[in-house]
Amino acid sequence: MKIGLPRGLMYAKYHTFAKTFLEELGAEVVVSPPTNKKILDRGVRCCVDEACLPMKIFHGHVDWLKDRCDALLTPRLIGVRDKEYICPMFCGLIELISNNIPDLPPLIDAPVTSLEYGKLIKWAKQAGGFIQKDDTKIALAFDRARKAQQMEQIGYNEAGYPLKIALVGHVYNIYDQFINMNVKKKLNELGIGVMTYQQVDRGDIDAQIQTLFKKPFWTFAGEYYGASVYISKKGLADGILYLSSFSCGIDSVMTELIQSEIGDFPFMVLKLDEHTGEAGFDTRIEAFSDMLKRRCEFGRHLS
Amino acid sequence: MEKTYYLGVDVGSVSTNLVMMDEEKNICEKLYLKTSGRPVDTLKEGLKCLAGHFGGAEIRGAGATGSGRQLAGMLIGADVIKNEISAHAVAASSVEPDVRTILEIGGQDSKIIFLRDGIVYDFAMNTVCAAGTGSFLDRQAARLDIPIEAFGGYALKSKNPVRIAGRCAVFAESDMIHKQQTGHCNEDIIAGLCEALARNYLNNLAKGKEICGPILFQGGVAANVGIVSAFKKILNQSVIIPRYYDVMGAYGAAILAKEELEASGDETRFCGFDSVYDDFTVQSMECKDCANMCEVIHISVNETPKACWGDRCGKWSAGAGKAQSGSRTG
Repeated sequence: MKIGLPRGLMYAKYHTFAKTFLEELGAEVVVSPPTNKKILDRGVRCCVDEACLPMKIFHGHVDWLKDRCDALLTPRLIGVRDKEYICPMFCGLIELISNNIPDLPPLIDAPVTSLEYGKLIKWAKQAGGFIQKDDTKIALAFDRARKAQQMEQIGYNEAGYPLKIALVGHVYNIYDQFINMNVKKKLNELGIGVMTYQQVDRGDIDAQIQTLFKKPFWTFAGEYYGASVYISKKGLADGILYLSSFSCGIDSVMTELIQSEIGDFPFMVLKLDEHTGEAGFDTRIEAFSDMLKRRCEFGRHLS
Repeated sequence: MEKTYYLGVDVGSVSTNLVMMDEEKNICEKLYLKTSGRPVDTLKEGLKCLAGHFGGAEIRGAGATGSGRQLAGMLIGADVIKNEISAHAVAASSVEPDVRTILEIGGQDSKIIFLRDGIVYDFAMNTVCAAGTGSFLDRQAARLDIPIEAFGGYALKSKNPVRIAGRCAVFAESDMIHKQQTGHCNEDIIAGLCEALARNYLNNLAKGKEICGPILFQGGVAANVGIVSAFKKILNQSVIIPRYYDVMGAYGAAILAKEELEASGDETRFCGFDSVYDDFTVQSMECKDCANMCEVIHISVNETPKACWGDRCGKWSAGAGKAQSGSRTG
C-alpha cells in the first residue's frame, strides 16, 4: 500500500518518525517534493484565502500526492505536550483539505493530543490499523519510529563564521527553503553562520518560561520565547531572526513578548507571505547583517 | 589640481536620485527624478544631465542603493551596492554626527533607524503594507486635485484637524471621502491625514521604543510640511530636515563608495558617463527547467550578456557572474 506523506507543516520536525512508522508497518511511503512554485500555486488556488502561507502550501503538497498514493497520512494535530495546545488551524486542517481538494484518497486522520507515550500509542493503534491489523506489529513499528525520532538531530548550529544569527519561528518556516527564500544561504553569503532555536535544550527553554507571569497556552509560543530569551542571555548568537507567517496569531504575540524581554539584543522579524518580494527581504537581511557587523566592531573597539 | 568626485545613485520606487560629491563630502550636484516605472531610462536621463557638468571630471567612485540598486549598480559599474538603511544612516551621520533617530519615508518604504554613537543600533521597516508612504500621499493629492507640492501647506492652514484612520490606506481613503461628504473642508481633512500617517508610522515602526533627539527626517515625504508638523506635534520634539533630505540615500551611497575604495585602495569600476549611450537591454524569462519556474532577469550591454539574477538554483547567475566579474554587495 502506498501512503502519501505531505512535505509541509510539521513534516519538518516529525518526518523521521512518520516515515519509519509507515515503513515498519510495511507501507510504501511517497513524499511530496520540496515546496516549489507549482505546489505553492496549487495550494493558493485550492485553500481558503484567510489561511496562512504554510497552510496553503500544505494544501499544495496534498494536491500533488492525491493521485500518487492509496491514502494520506495527515494526523489531526491538537497538541504535542500534555495540557498544552498548538495552533487551532491544525485542528481544522483535515476539514480544510477534505473540503477544498476534490477526489482525495482516504485520510489517516486519527487525532494526536500529545506526544506523551500513553497517548501517542493510542494514536499509533488507530492510525496503524489502516495498514496493519496486528496490534503487536503496530506496537513494534511505533517503538522503532520513536527511537528513530529520538536519534534525529533537528536543526543545526554552524561554526566558522565571524557572526552568528539564530533562526526562531515555526519549523515549517525555518526549514522550508522555498518559504524562507533560502535565508540560510543568504546569511552565509553575508558571512554569517546560522543556528536554529532547536539547539537550545528543552530544560533551558522551560527555565525561561517559568519566569513568565503565566504558563503559555501554546507549546510553540513557549518554545520560541524560552529559546530566544536563553539565546540572548547566554550570547549564543549575535542576533535573532524571527521568521513569521503573515497573519499568524501566535507570531504576533510572541514577537512582542520576546522583544519586551530581550531589550537591546538585536532582533528582527521577517514576515513571510506569498507576495513577499525577494528584494525587500534581501534589503532587510542585508541591513540587519550590516548592523550586527558595525555593533560587533564597535563593541571590540570599546573593550 | 582638478577636483575629483564620487557618484551616488538611489533608484527607488517613486524617485531616482543622483548625487555628485567631492572629496570633502560636499554635495556638488543633486538630481531628483521621478522613476515613473522606468528605472533604466530614468537613470540614463540623470546620467546625461550630470555628464553636462561633470563629463570631463575624474569620478573616483560610484555607489548604488534603493530597491533598484542591483540594476543601477550594473548599469553604472558601481563599486558599492548597499541597502537603503545603511546608506541613509551613513548620510545622516555625516550631516549631523550626533543623530540618534532617523525617520525616513519614501515612495513605498518607510523606515526608522536608531543610532548610538554613530552606528545603527536598531531599525524597523514597514512590513507588507505601504499605507502612509509617499505613493499613498501622491494618490490622495491627485484625488483632491491638489498638487503634491502644495499638499502639506493645506494642512498647516487647518484649525480643526479631523480624525482619520491611518492604519490602512483603504480605510483612510474611505474615511477621507466620508469626512468630505459630511462637509469638512480640505484643509482639515489633509491635516487629519497627516496626523494619521505620523501616528501610524510611529505606532508601527517605533512601537514603544524611545525616540531620542536629534531626530532627522529624510526621504521625499519630508518635503511635506504637514507631515513634519504632525511629527513635531506628536513627538513633542524638534525634527531636523537636512538640506538634501530628498537625496540622502544617494548621498549615503556616494560616501560608502568613497569609504570602500579608500579602505581597499582599488580603482573604481565606474563605466563613465558615456555608458548611457550603451545599448542596455533587460530581458526576463520564466525558466522552465524545474517546478520553481523562477523569473530570471538577463542583462546585456551592447548585446554582450553581462549579468543575470532571479534564479533560485544559481545556474543562470553563476554563468553570468564569470563574465561580469561580480559587484560587491552586502
